[in-house]
Amino acid sequence: MTSPGVFFSRLLFTFLFHVFFSRLLLAQLISIKTVPIAQGDQFEIFPSHNLAMGGVSIAVPDTLLDPFRNPAKGARLAAAPRFFGSPTFYGVSNGAGGGRTLPLAAVTQAGSWFGGLSLALQEVDPSRPPVGVAVPFVAQARAAILPDVPDPGPDQGSHGNAYAFAMLGKVLAEPRLSLAGSVSWSRLTAVDGVDLLYPGSQAIRQLGHAADFRIGMLKEWAGDRALEAVALHDRFGMTDDVTYLDSFWDPGTQRVLQRARVEHELDRTNTWGLHLQYERPLGASGWRVGWLATGNLMSHPKIPNYEIMNIARDPGRSHAYNLGIGFSRTNGPATFGIDAIYEPIWSETWAEAEAPTGTALGDTIPAGGKTVENHFRFSDAVFRMGISRELTIGRRAPAALLQLGLAARSIHYRLDQYDRVQVSGRNQVESWVEWTPTWGLSVRFPELELRYSGRVTKGTGRPGVGTRANGWALEDASAVRAGSLLVAPSGPLTLDAVSVVTHQVSLSLPIR
Amino acid sequence: MTRTFSTICVGLVALAAGCDRNSPPVEPASIDAALRQDLARWGVIPIGPMPAQDPALVALGRTLMFDKILSGNRDISCATCHQPSEHAADGLSLAVGTGGTGLGQSRTLGPGRQFVPRNAPTLVNAGLGLFYLFWDGRISGFHSGPFTTPAGSALPPDLPNILAAQAMFPVVDRREMRGERGDLDVFGNPNELAQFGDSQLVEIWQAAMRRVLAIPEYVTMFNAAFPDTPTSRLGFQHAATAIAAFEMQPLTKTDSPFDRYLNRDDAALTLEQKRGALLFFGKARCSSCHNGPFLGGGQFANNGAPQLGPGRGAGAPLDFGHGDVFNNEFDRFTFRVAPLRNVELTAPYFHDGAYPTLAAVVRHYNNVPVALRGFDVSQLAPALSSLYHGDEATISAVLATLDFRLRQPLGLTNDEQRDVVAFLESLTDPSARDLRSLTPAVVPSGLPVQE
Repeated sequence: MTSPGVFFSRLLFTFLFHVFFSRLLLAQLISIKTVPIAQGDQFEIFPSHNLAMGGVSIAVPDTLLDPFRNPAKGARLAAAPRFFGSPTFYGVSNGAGGGRTLPLAAVTQAGSWFGGLSLALQEVDPSRPPVGVAVPFVAQARAAILPDVPDPGPDQGSHGNAYAFAMLGKVLAEPRLSLAGSVSWSRLTAVDGVDLLYPGSQAIRQLGHAADFRIGMLKEWAGDRALEAVALHDRFGMTDDVTYLDSFWDPGTQRVLQRARVEHELDRTNTWGLHLQYERPLGASGWRVGWLATGNLMSHPKIPNYEIMNIARDPGRSHAYNLGIGFSRTNGPATFGIDAIYEPIWSETWAEAEAPTGTALGDTIPAGGKTVENHFRFSDAVFRMGISRELTIGRRAPAALLQLGLAARSIHYRLDQYDRVQVSGRNQVESWVEWTPTWGLSVRFPELELRYSGRVTKGTGRPGVGTRANGWALEDASAVRAGSLLVAPSGPLTLDAVSVVTHQVSLSLPIR
Repeated sequence: MTRTFSTICVGLVALAAGCDRNSPPVEPASIDAALRQDLARWGVIPIGPMPAQDPALVALGRTLMFDKILSGNRDISCATCHQPSEHAADGLSLAVGTGGTGLGQSRTLGPGRQFVPRNAPTLVNAGLGLFYLFWDGRISGFHSGPFTTPAGSALPPDLPNILAAQAMFPVVDRREMRGERGDLDVFGNPNELAQFGDSQLVEIWQAAMRRVLAIPEYVTMFNAAFPDTPTSRLGFQHAATAIAAFEMQPLTKTDSPFDRYLNRDDAALTLEQKRGALLFFGKARCSSCHNGPFLGGGQFANNGAPQLGPGRGAGAPLDFGHGDVFNNEFDRFTFRVAPLRNVELTAPYFHDGAYPTLAAVVRHYNNVPVALRGFDVSQLAPALSSLYHGDEATISAVLATLDFRLRQPLGLTNDEQRDVVAFLESLTDPSARDLRSLTPAVVPSGLPVQE
């Protein structure tokens, strides 16, 4: 994809956390995304049976991943205690990032109790090449960098994250009713793609935590019907210390020099959510049907002032819902599944005046009052489909499983923005589609199962990874022809098409 | 089922291969985002603090700036044409040099005298580190030199900056400060500085310093400002260095709303000023010349300014400007692009002060050929009307080398022109509005300061 029209600076902001975690825990946390920026599958760390089937999950149980979404579903898995390891690698094309994760997990049971534990270590690569110092200067000037400026240097190293997950549950009654709770905690020093949101910065130091608390219920009836419910609370907090090198004219030396500036950006989001899902067979033909409904209430006490943003905002709040229906059919060794999910989302963010601010009408907005309001109305949709086919190798069957799938995510939103200082308003409508083909192959041995899943996401981009020098597009060539200037770091950017490729190898073997 | 599976597989692969994204989002940025992009694109960056100057040096420079002893006829000082009350300029279209009377806009020519060919530019922010000085850029150079000047090798080598190099020259210019052969000074004594030939720069400078150092108070001040230099080795370059220090210290004014905006205060500019800034860096094309840290100062351009005044050099009575410095036809009528900070305070505008207001300037740029041909002489002072060269041959000559960026009309509406002016007014440092406190009550020579 070449997207010359995607002027990054004209885009909006992204709630990164929800984008990422929604992939991990889709259907419980609803993503909000306003920028078609590519995100690595950083949080794709738990093994999944259906990853290679496009991620279908409503009418096709994901026996590996479900306990991490709804801890009560651990009751199903714990019937056969197992150990998991699912080393996962993802990479963004054009060298625009990547990461490696090694999660280890175990699920077991004791009587009616069941539990699980997972630990993961992760290394995330920078998402962008080192920033070339494009110092704006008058043609006759001798641009220079002040030698005693504390230059942190480009941040090219990888950074690590750590994840822990624990769940505990109990099967209460027959027909089965399972209740469970789970806690996950993450220590994050690198969230993939965040460095892209501060173009022109010299270095970014991230530090934060995420915690996720869930209570899940699973009710299973005879006839293979099941109802599940999950209540969750999620807290996310990151601090981005972003170092910029600002150019300035030094009259004493008659040169352009630079000085360091560090911005402390806080990213806070808290979410309360409730999720219901039901599935049942459709007759005896192998068809199954399921539906889900989710509600998320999010508060954003602080959203970072991403350098790429053009919308002032400090706090915000959102409420997001999804309604989905899924069908599947199992016919002998083959299974086909399809999900369709609609996600209406309302989000409001605003900027607060740091000091009393005069408006164009002569009024005064007091300190803390809203200066800019942004109202988003999303109509997102997710479609997933996948197939799997068990294969016979030799005389022992089934011994292998081939999977293919495709997911499409459509983002469509309208922004109404009101500037109370300038007493003006505007609206904006955006839409794009992200496509994710998936594939997978698993091989079963009597003592273990080895699974490979892969997927590639297209339809998104990243700035600064194409053939343009440093990714800075020269929007107006006349600026160059005039012979006076070089484009500066905060100049207009374009997104370059990238693909995000994820490979997951998961190993599952019985504990006893 | 196997066939079904195969069909679905093929379908999925085909669907995946054909997938592409919709049209990407494109929407105008907010005004601040767009403006900051423009600022970055045009290299408009904040100006750092001016290094502190030696107080003794500044005090000496201030005194010399206001002392008429540096002029051949002892009737004009640097400050006469760079009046604090006129924001370190004189408020006149063309400067009135030695022999004139009065100050500021009421200053008039003396008998038999001619106007200085060009407008006296403000000294405010002259010390920021411009690479070219004078309207024709005949002095140029970087921080510590070497400097290219009309003096060539005669220029003393130990000048610390280009501003000091510039300060060497008004005293040698006959119309500005030195006077004509046979002039008598205000006391009726022969003007010894005027007796030297125009190429005897060193002798003129030495003679001027003899005048200054004949006054004990000046010797004391020079010794304080240059403690490592024996009095016997003091030259006019030391006086120029002191004058430059004065220009650099109290005459640096870079705390305008626009400067605060450059330092990331989005609220520093009004909406009207921001709209004007977007026009300035966009549709109005101002920034194609007025760019960089000073919003100008680094280029030469023929902006189609009406030809006015006695002229200078080979082109007289026209003024070829930068083209005359290098005897280059291509550069005829080109002049240094003025840096714009505090421009609101420094009317009239252009190298010959042809336009009295910023609104008139913007109107001129909106359609240069039309404005030049329709120039309204009535906006000039009566004494200058007869010096306007509005003949077709002159206009055609000016338009022949008109900057290519000005050959097509800009198409600015009246509202847009007002917005551009509003932006230009945002370049004013409030502390530059009243500089009268810089005027000393007396100077060591005892010559009048405010007459």
